[in-house]
Amino acid sequence: MSNIKEILNKSSIFSSLGEDDIQRLEPFFEKREIHPGDIIAKADDAAQFFFLLNNGTVLLAMEEGRSVVLNTPGDFIGLELLSAKGVYKTTLTVLEKGSVFAVPRQAFLAVIQENSEAAATIMASWQEYLDKTAPFVKIVKKIEGISLSYNF
Amino acid sequence: MYGLEAINANNGWAISVVGVTIVFSGLVTLSLVISQLYRVLALWENPSKIKTLFKAKQPKNQSEEFQEKEIIDQAVFTESQKEGAKQFSLLIRTMENHFSLPRLLHLAQISDLKNSHSNLNNLLKTNIIIPDGSGFFTWEKETFDKAIL
Repeated sequence: MSNIKEILNKSSIFSSLGEDDIQRLEPFFEKREIHPGDIIAKADDAAQFFFLLNNGTVLLAMEEGRSVVLNTPGDFIGLELLSAKGVYKTTLTVLEKGSVFAVPRQAFLAVIQENSEAAATIMASWQEYLDKTAPFVKIVKKIEGISLSYNF
Repeated sequence: MYGLEAINANNGWAISVVGVTIVFSGLVTLSLVISQLYRVLALWENPSKIKTLFKAKQPKNQSEEFQEKEIIDQAVFTESQKEGAKQFSLLIRTMENHFSLPRLLHLAQISDLKNSHSNLNNLLKTNIIIPDGSGFFTWEKETFDKAIL
């Protein structure tokens, strides 16, 4: 198992951040063990945390039966993949034992909003990650005609 | 004849050197065995690693078909996991070709399938269930037949 610094450096979202930004984010991440069958976020509940996968497998269930399986260490489960306007839009179910790092949503957004350069880096990496991991999320957004990009 | 004189006369120095060498070699061998014992215990706990060791010697450029076979070979299904996979295959028959994974999991849970989350994860890891790129999944019957039947 990795520590938070290792996993942030490994993550496609956070690896492009500078050392200072990574150090600023580190204290907000709290490690949690996950077990098969655990539901770590439920649609329509208040969104309190975003998650960074350390190991294990998580099923992210979206609207209309769509879903994504996340099993790569460093996968970030947050922003529009997880929530909109402070409410979880998807349900996260654990399929394989492992661990995640939970970061309070408000604290995470506050940190990235404080630093526009870091925010731009994260958002650019996030778009690439989303295109690779769940390209259909954009399709859903287009269908609904809603831009969720800045309403996490 | 006593002391050093007696030792010299009866090859005492040579015998003691041989003795010391035998004891020292024994201790070195024992320490090497103990230091590598964790590897043996790891294999004991996870026998699928033995197959992986032999696979590692094969050439890197492999065809897609061969890689698929390798994934299946490395996946060691226990009898209960095979049973779980077969139950999932029955549920799949009631669904469309491009099915919803959360819906499949829900069906497995209401059908009271044992270890439904872990069994579903095994099917994903062995590429028996694969994503179609639009948020839905498909069932690879051929892969399932090779791995389970």
